[in-house]
Amino acid sequence: MRKYKQPSTVGRFGEFGGMYVSETLMPLLLNLDKSYKKIQKDKKFKKELNDLFKNYVGRPSSLHFAKNLSKYINGPKIYFKRDELNHTGAHKINNCLGQILLAKKMGKTRIIAETGAGQHGVATATVCALFGLPCYIYMGAKDIERQKPNVFRMKLLGATIIPVESGSKSLKDAMNEALRDWIKNVRDTFYIIGSTAGPHPYPKMVRDFQSVIGQEAREQILKVEKKLPDYLIACVGGGSNAMGLFYPFLNDKKVKIIGVEAAGRGAKTEETAATMTSGTPGILHGSYSYVLQDNDGQIKEAHSISAGLDYPGVGPEHSYLKDIKRVKYFGITDKEALEAFQTCSKLEGIIPALEPSHALAYLIKAFKNKHKNKVVILNLCGRGDKDLFTAAKAIGFDADE
Amino acid sequence: MNNLDSLPKKKILSLFMTCGFPTLNQSKKVFNEMLSHQPNIIEFGLPFSDPMADGPIIQEANKLALRSKLSTQQSLNLIKELSKSKNNTSFVIMCYLNTVRKFGLNKFIKNIKSIVDGIIIVDLPFEEEDAIKKSLSKNNIHLIKLISPMTDKKRSKKLLKNSKGFIYYISATGITGSNKLDYKEINKNVKSIKKMSSVPVLVGFGIKSKKDVIDISKKTNADGVVIGSALIQKYFDIKMDFNKYLKSLKKFIQEVKI
Ligand SMILES: Cc1ncc(COP(=O)(O)O)c(C=O)c1O
Repeated sequence: MRKYKQPSTVGRFGEFGGMYVSETLMPLLLNLDKSYKKIQKDKKFKKELNDLFKNYVGRPSSLHFAKNLSKYINGPKIYFKRDELNHTGAHKINNCLGQILLAKKMGKTRIIAETGAGQHGVATATVCALFGLPCYIYMGAKDIERQKPNVFRMKLLGATIIPVESGSKSLKDAMNEALRDWIKNVRDTFYIIGSTAGPHPYPKMVRDFQSVIGQEAREQILKVEKKLPDYLIACVGGGSNAMGLFYPFLNDKKVKIIGVEAAGRGAKTEETAATMTSGTPGILHGSYSYVLQDNDGQIKEAHSISAGLDYPGVGPEHSYLKDIKRVKYFGITDKEALEAFQTCSKLEGIIPALEPSHALAYLIKAFKNKHKNKVVILNLCGRGDKDLFTAAKAIGFDADE
Repeated sequence: MNNLDSLPKKKILSLFMTCGFPTLNQSKKVFNEMLSHQPNIIEFGLPFSDPMADGPIIQEANKLALRSKLSTQQSLNLIKELSKSKNNTSFVIMCYLNTVRKFGLNKFIKNIKSIVDGIIIVDLPFEEEDAIKKSLSKNNIHLIKLISPMTDKKRSKKLLKNSKGFIYYISATGITGSNKLDYKEINKNVKSIKKMSSVPVLVGFGIKSKKDVIDISKKTNADGVVIGSALIQKYFDIKMDFNKYLKSLKKFIQEVKI
């Protein structure tokens, strides 16, 4: 295999990706791309980011051998890459620190972001507090309802939350509104996109900032197992935690890679967020990638119990990796994820977020009594605190009692 | 023949309206009313679920149009039917790229050939336009370029090379329906555009009243205006009474024809 080298200079992963935005944003994106290229070569920037990773986030995150779960599955040795231990409770902070340092370098004075689960909103509000920049978070009204703890956290951190009432009132619509805000406030505003989605250079930039996950995991597993893992597994919403883990392993063709999407009530139903299983290529939020759409190209509403995966699109690099068959993608239903959420809590003493619970569910389902002597790394990219109310309700536990 | 090639030199009026708004049948009446005033250009908006560059008013129009599951084919049929009474008015489609892609570029062109004079694809930047522009120009349909206050001289030069029809200057950094109009800035940028291209420059985004139209004509070098959100807003102002809407539309269009 030739060395993996994506995207192209214009942001293409194969045929996917690109920049499909109005002329008001185009000059900004080109400028962002230029600035990003510049800081990539800047040693001071790298050092600043690494210091923050170490002392503010608590990196490297540990690689935990999940002994009890491994025993329960009776299959491979399972390792958790524990990005849920990061400050703010998920991988999202890695990307936010990178982007806010860039925003500072570009002289921007106002930060906006979209959020679904609230994890990216919290991470953005956190870095804004740290750097003293005003922060505006667009969040779907439906997500505000189901992610209340994170809403309060963002407010404590000094962010202004702007509820989005349009469309399905979730992540897709929050992103539309954030883009509109950016078009209106092009001069002073930096838009911190939370996943490997959106127009170029975001999918590349977010992947690069998140790939610290895979770089660490690679070193860590080589140390304990003296070999590369046989499998990588991660959940895919927009795809940032997954790209973060996968990217440093893409050239290792022996490492099999699996992405897990949210299938909601089932990938074949209308209530799904399994973009690559049920969708077709189209354009959403400035990027050409798989999307859930009807025959006229109208974007459908997604459904998942997990707000962070409730998105009818996916990052263009995943579409590419699917089409070249480097990564396989599967769907997991709400119900399966909820079960895995409980199993992991009981067996490992780790309450996972509902997003990685999808990855866990796939692992439990597909690896049970199989793949013995193999080694798996699963990206445990977020903790479940934010999901306690949602999960309690779904399981039928009265959390107010 | 492409009507856009014989636009007048000054005071060009372009009216934007979303297809299928508020319903498909009513939409026909709305466009017929617009056509009866013989504006220089009518822009037909194809409704899209995620109109990223549009403000709340056009968003709402899109939503209402899509409520009855309006298809792309139905919108194109509507445009075709209206073209019978087109006369000198130029027909321009304004849409998002996903609509064209999903319909199929060739099929799309087949449907609008000799009917539509120009097309604005809001989210198709210069960098991605090559193939589409070629197919369109083979069929004598102009790809209309947008220029924003963020587009610098160097970029404008690239964008405006071989431009046809008209140039759509976005009057403010903002989404459709934004309000602040900075005539000084508009004039400066329009002047600079006119140095690079000989096709008419229309100013759009935020033109709301007769006064705005007159001011653009007096205080800037622009050749005309595009009015969109303000036409749709009337429907909501009048509490969605359709017959009253048609009347207020008539009055408004008479006013802005200066
Ligand atoms: C814990 C967690 N995991 C995963 C995701 C999904 O995003 P991505 O696919 O970009 O990792 C989110 C999004 O909010 C999240 O909070």
